[in-house]
Amino acid sequence: MTYTGHAPPEARADPPAATGGRRPPPRPAARRSVANRENLAGYLFMSPWIAGFLLLTAGPMAASLYFAFTDYNLFDAPQWVGLKNFTDMFADPRWQKSVEVTVKYVLIGTPLKLVAALGVALLLAQSRRGQSFYRAAFYAPSLIGASVSVAIVWRAIFTEDAVVDRAQRLFGMNVGGWVGDPDWILYALVALTVWQFGAPMVIFLAGLKQVPRELYEAAEMDGAGPWRRFWNITLPMISPVLFFNVLLETIHSFQIFGSAYILGGQGNPCGPADATLVYTCYLYQQGFENSRMGFASAMAWMLLIAVGLVTAVLFRSQKRWVHYEENAR
Amino acid sequence: MRTSRHVERRSFLKAAGASLATVGLTAAGCGGTSGSAGGGPVTIRYAWWGADDRAKRINESIALFEKKYPKIKVKTDFQPYLDFWKKFNTQAAGGNPPDVIQNAVTFLRKYAARNVLLDLRPQVEAGNLSTDNFRSGLEKFAEIDGKLLGLPVGSNSMGYIIDEKLYDKAGVTPEPGWTWDEWYAGMRKIKSRTGVAGDSGPHSIMYYYDLRLRQQGKAFFTEDGLGFTESDLTAEWTEAMKHIRSGLFTSPKRADQVKPKSATAAGLSAGEFTWDNFTVRYAAEGKSSYGIAPIPTTDGKKTGQYLGSLMLSGTARTKHPKEVATFIDFMVHDPEVGRIMGYDRGVLSTTEQFEAFEPTDRVSKQIAAYETRIAETGVLEPITPHPAGADVVESAFLRLATEMSLDKASPGEAVEKFFTEAKTAFTANA
Repeated sequence: MTYTGHAPPEARADPPAATGGRRPPPRPAARRSVANRENLAGYLFMSPWIAGFLLLTAGPMAASLYFAFTDYNLFDAPQWVGLKNFTDMFADPRWQKSVEVTVKYVLIGTPLKLVAALGVALLLAQSRRGQSFYRAAFYAPSLIGASVSVAIVWRAIFTEDAVVDRAQRLFGMNVGGWVGDPDWILYALVALTVWQFGAPMVIFLAGLKQVPRELYEAAEMDGAGPWRRFWNITLPMISPVLFFNVLLETIHSFQIFGSAYILGGQGNPCGPADATLVYTCYLYQQGFENSRMGFASAMAWMLLIAVGLVTAVLFRSQKRWVHYEENAR
Repeated sequence: MRTSRHVERRSFLKAAGASLATVGLTAAGCGGTSGSAGGGPVTIRYAWWGADDRAKRINESIALFEKKYPKIKVKTDFQPYLDFWKKFNTQAAGGNPPDVIQNAVTFLRKYAARNVLLDLRPQVEAGNLSTDNFRSGLEKFAEIDGKLLGLPVGSNSMGYIIDEKLYDKAGVTPEPGWTWDEWYAGMRKIKSRTGVAGDSGPHSIMYYYDLRLRQQGKAFFTEDGLGFTESDLTAEWTEAMKHIRSGLFTSPKRADQVKPKSATAAGLSAGEFTWDNFTVRYAAEGKSSYGIAPIPTTDGKKTGQYLGSLMLSGTARTKHPKEVATFIDFMVHDPEVGRIMGYDRGVLSTTEQFEAFEPTDRVSKQIAAYETRIAETGVLEPITPHPAGADVVESAFLRLATEMSLDKASPGEAVEKFFTEAKTAFTANA
């Protein structure tokens, strides 16, 4: 990406490392011992993190990988069953449904969220009065977005005879409430996620600020309209940022849980007629309600693999549409 | 960055200090066992599900207990029903379950099979716990394979909770022994005269279907499986769909939207089948006045009702079985506790507590009268012990009935799925 900051890049680089100018360089053995001490101090400083990583992340992951090949109900010792959890999974209609719901959610929700984020970022990138207020206002929902209370409020907004339903009736659309309706509730969930576009918006804003003004000026002189300028300058110039957002939001979307769980409802937390049975919701049900920890672990690893594959595909695709400045590579 | 040796040592010491502090914190977090070997105070943990109102009553009861037994301290913990079991599962699996839990018949066999629950029999024999003075029908409530796995704190029965104002307005009076035909006729009257659906839709309530089956001499559960066939349930659900379409049952969409409020309390229907002690909840949630009507019957007599109950169980890994027994004994028998708890967990189960509490509010009086009446008319039957996996089966029943009622599956498809899932649940829990 072109560098358009105030100072030339060289000025920001750290000064060349001192070569031990005044003092003579220490003898090799002493130098080694200093280096060792420094390393040790470093590791000691890191040790809380390393301990946390081993105990809270790596350990459970290894355990979960083992459980994925066992029948484990939390109480009796896990029994090795090989690939049975995986074959059961593919044969399970509710698992299939959860994949279907999740893919649908990702395919609809992620692009809409990114379009909203980019659209608002384009508006906010222009200098206007009260600009910082608008930026804060649009960012706010993603700060509170993950909270349970918002999902509860969202549920209230989308029930029959509530705000959304009444607004729809003004336009002659008689849908009724969205949350009790298996055909609509997923869109309520999508709306909730689109509304939380703050984080990608901020990243888009940063990207838009980096596009050199000269390009627009030159294009304008050549008679390019706003749409053409957007399509031929803005979009290619921010494509690395766009790629980053697509990647991050896609991965996020696959992992949706909290809002689906709350919005879904009380009796069956994954929505009426499994309409918001997102992958993690089913995983949670199997693990904690049905005590099938082995199956749930297998599901978790399947999700990891799927997200890994999607990420790999996105990375491969970037050659076609992501433009990096040559010198920035 | 180049540093002098002095600074290096300082940074080294700092790092060491920080790390040690972290290790120290971790160690402090782990060591929290309450020893009792020295005869000092023993702390037992008591977990239950419910909400604020129950919390107040329970804390008051515990204060009383701690006063009488100063050497036993009770720490409590509560969650809503579903979260309670998730937390308990995790704690029990981690080998750290609470010492005493509130328990229900749905979970009894599941945890009995996994040796999670404490056999209270030796404690009864040691004189730490009494099984005397339980109201009839509750004596052998939690006995499985000769083990005593809990003692009931209150009993309740399925009832038909109605919106009295709607029933009055439509001129329908439910009488004991009324038949299903009369019930349907009543609902039609209510629908035509008040515009409100007669019932919230009973098809998703497992305990309602249990009553229906019992009236035909069957039951929802046998000891290790389901007590009915696919065609039984298909007939039942096909019929239910007819009434949903005709508007006799509340629109499932609308019923879902008012949750956690019940549809009857939200004014969407004139009645619904539920546990009789829930009347308290309806009175708090809704704007109308609510009463408990008798269960409709097939032959004018048999209702299929039985006393279900909440109970207190100890957990097998407790280090303090004696204190656990003492606590359960106190909570079940002490008259003062009866006065404090009232009918919050159902009608009090021991005669000491039942006699000590005189209901003064309308709703509690109604519940007491209702249970006395069904006991006197002799409709009560023994409860069938639920097989391990019953909790999963119940949630599948609820979910699939809803799926069908929302037109996402035909009754036949829903029934087929239900039987498949029930089979998986029983196998997984066997």
